[in-house]
Amino acid sequence: MTSVEILDLVIIVALIIGWRMTWLATRVDRANVRAERTWAALDAALVRRAQRALELVLITDIDPATTLLVSDAANAALEPNLSRHDRERAESDLSHVLDAVGPMLPSSSSRLESDRARASICRRLHNDAVATALSLRRRRTVRLLQLAGRAAEPRPFEMAEGQFAL
Amino acid sequence: MTSPGSSLRVGIVCPYSFDVPGGVQNHVLGLARYLRHAGHRPSVLAPGELGRATEGLDVEDFASVGAAVPVRYNGSVARVNFGPLSAARVRHWLRKGQFDLLHIHEPITPSISLLTLWAAEQPVVATFHAATPRSRSMQLAGGVLRGAIEKIDAGIAVSESARNVVVQHLGRDAVVIPNGIEFKDFARWCPSTGAVLSLSKGSGHLASSSRPSDHPRLIFLGRLDEPRKGLDVLLAAVPLIMKSRPDLEVIVAGQGSRPLPEWCCSLGMISLEAKIALLGSADVFVAPHLARESFGIVLLEAMASGVPIVASELPSFLDVLGSPQDEGRLGEVFAAGDSGALAASVLSVLDRPNPLRTLRAQEAARRYDWSAVGATVVAVYRAALSAAPAPLAETSIG
Repeated sequence: MTSVEILDLVIIVALIIGWRMTWLATRVDRANVRAERTWAALDAALVRRAQRALELVLITDIDPATTLLVSDAANAALEPNLSRHDRERAESDLSHVLDAVGPMLPSSSSRLESDRARASICRRLHNDAVATALSLRRRRTVRLLQLAGRAAEPRPFEMAEGQFAL
Repeated sequence: MTSPGSSLRVGIVCPYSFDVPGGVQNHVLGLARYLRHAGHRPSVLAPGELGRATEGLDVEDFASVGAAVPVRYNGSVARVNFGPLSAARVRHWLRKGQFDLLHIHEPITPSISLLTLWAAEQPVVATFHAATPRSRSMQLAGGVLRGAIEKIDAGIAVSESARNVVVQHLGRDAVVIPNGIEFKDFARWCPSTGAVLSLSKGSGHLASSSRPSDHPRLIFLGRLDEPRKGLDVLLAAVPLIMKSRPDLEVIVAGQGSRPLPEWCCSLGMISLEAKIALLGSADVFVAPHLARESFGIVLLEAMASGVPIVASELPSFLDVLGSPQDEGRLGEVFAAGDSGALAASVLSVLDRPNPLRTLRAQEAARRYDWSAVGATVVAVYRAALSAAPAPLAETSIG
């Protein structure tokens, strides 16, 4: 083989490797973006769920014990700047409380039910996105070349959903 | 982001042709009908002709990618599309449709579903029915499929078992949303109306008149010539049943032809109306499927009609009926492929009728009505959209 041929071969191999790397970087980026956006959606859905629960017990005519129970749990979940762990616990507590008071709630609670279902779906989408992002990040090429950049490693959001787990 | 009540423009992709009946096709049609009814604007892309399938929907809601090619895939013959011409038609449909969201069925099949997933720029919801490839074929196909799978924003699986396949073999998760049925259509048939059926043997149609009420009637629905539907298991069991029930009437309905014993009455392909009436007149419904049934839709339709159920022990059937150990299960189950066990189950249903269980089964089937199932699908649409990137300032194309 002449040196020109060898050079051609090297260039072709370099191009193929470069293309593969770009493709992998695209996938890593897409997975990271998806994890971030699904988190934003989950966050919003959880806030909406807590607000709806508050609204329901404060506006409707319901016994004070139930009101206190639900508003306490909802306020705890709506607390700003909770650590991830505390947030997970507060949201789980709210799920349990909502399950417990379910029979006491007025029939207009169907919107709360759909908010709970929505949060459950959003959580599944988020954890799914996190799993994809993590499995890509664990690949040797991605770690060696730091294709994930400086984006923080995503974490699944673990919480109890009560009866509305889908 | 779309507001909660807004009307959605949904592009639905069905990989299989509407020329032939099938679970995925029926699901897509039911979903499109529900969406239209709920004020959304669905558009369905599918191979082949549309024909009678469009009833209840506007023809302009459909687009065809042209004739499909029959290919063996996942144990049955599927008519699917592939190649550059199909890809171009998919891209044209996507451009014209201006969809808020795409809902792709069986995304990982060699079909327009995969082509659409590949070309999609909108948020993608994908429903996994049965044809999810196993890890081995995924590995063979390599990174291309991986990339496509990662484009799915929200996965839906039609049953817990379908979800397990998605989790194990694709490494993705999915929300379980069962297939829908038109509950009212099936439950409205009631023997007291007097519209009892008799069958003119071999003529393939149902006539309204009285039938001899003392003959127990056994029904099988499904393709006759496809081994995995299990008709052979049923036919082997019937002589055993007839030993104690010589007056048993056996009626099978479905596509395909094959030699049948003379005591077995075949109706061929029947209309929806005829199916509803037939189920309403039955004393026992048998689902002897051997494998790979992704979702027991026929089972649910039979349950909604109030017919006692005998079904093989497939994971997807147990999802619907409850496990064999479960005291409260909604029908008799037997080991798949075991004719003797099938015969015993049928006899126990005929000899000891359990109207309460049949009623409970009917109530259970109500949960699968499109009004409930469709609302959950739309909730997934909203969730996928709320996690989708804000649309960029659209540059208008062509």
